[in-house]
Amino acid sequence: MSHEAHAPAHTDAHGAPAAHDEHPPTSIREYGLIGLGLMAITAVELWVSYSGLAYGTLVAILIVLSAFKFWVVVWMFMHLRFEHGLLTKLFSFGLILGTAMILATTALFWHDATDSVGGIPEAAPGAAAPAKH
Amino acid sequence: MSAAHETQHHTTTGIDNRKMLMWIFLASECLFFGALISTYLIFQGESVVGPTPHEILNIPVTSASSFVLLMSSVTMVLAVYGAQHGRLGMMKLMLLATILLGIGFLGFQAYEFTEFVHEGLGLTTNQFGSSFFVLTGFHGTHVAVGVLYLLSLLVASNRRTGLGADRALHIDLAGLYWHFVDVVWIVIFTIIYLIPH
Repeated sequence: MSHEAHAPAHTDAHGAPAAHDEHPPTSIREYGLIGLGLMAITAVELWVSYSGLAYGTLVAILIVLSAFKFWVVVWMFMHLRFEHGLLTKLFSFGLILGTAMILATTALFWHDATDSVGGIPEAAPGAAAPAKH
Repeated sequence: MSAAHETQHHTTTGIDNRKMLMWIFLASECLFFGALISTYLIFQGESVVGPTPHEILNIPVTSASSFVLLMSSVTMVLAVYGAQHGRLGMMKLMLLATILLGIGFLGFQAYEFTEFVHEGLGLTTNQFGSSFFVLTGFHGTHVAVGVLYLLSLLVASNRRTGLGADRALHIDLAGLYWHFVDVVWIVIFTIIYLIPH
């Protein structure tokens, strides 16, 4: 990372970061290195997927790696790091709501009551699917 | 101040309205894809007839398409770099590369969908098929819209007047959309393909 990348953002008369008066200081070489890093992480994810690790460990590693890739793209490629803080808050709001919705609905349906009370009979091999009501 | 932002009007936040609108749109898209991912997670193990995910998913092919989409993010950020630094040749070349990589990704998806249909998995076959095709289909639609968006910018940049004084902002906004489509795929790829069912 270049020295410029760590310089504080300029501020306008109101003290807010002046997001548009400068371009992100990232160089072409740095963008290329970030891209290579993302591909390397994807290769590691693939290896982990086939590694035969315990299910919980495997899922945890894959989620951490993909969350890191997500953060790198948003922070460096979408330049959120260099933008006004309001944009970070706006995007984080949608992202947190979306993630919370996934967690809540998944938790809600984690144990399907119809499975335990026999609401949907198991299909015999070759049998037609039971009608659902 | 660069020429690219000369026409930017004053706002109380100092953020161009178009850029703020794009970020709000992307935040709302988090909810849109969150709903589709939730649906997939709920339905993936509930199918009473096959084919099931582990029988049909082709991880090597999808991994290749994921690499293609990741590469397109690199070319897109270089197109934005070119636009912001007045390197128009680089901007056009990288826009073209991004478009071609996007079309490549769509080609992989068309191949995958065709293979699945041949193997008996359609939109109405089972709950896995319904949630899978809706989720990946909507993502593919977003990629297709992105390809058209970038194509329109490439055509406009080749006109005599180019993209005008807001050139860098136009490319930047398109880049935001494109990178978002990429990060959504990062999540989808992990949830559908990498995590064993």
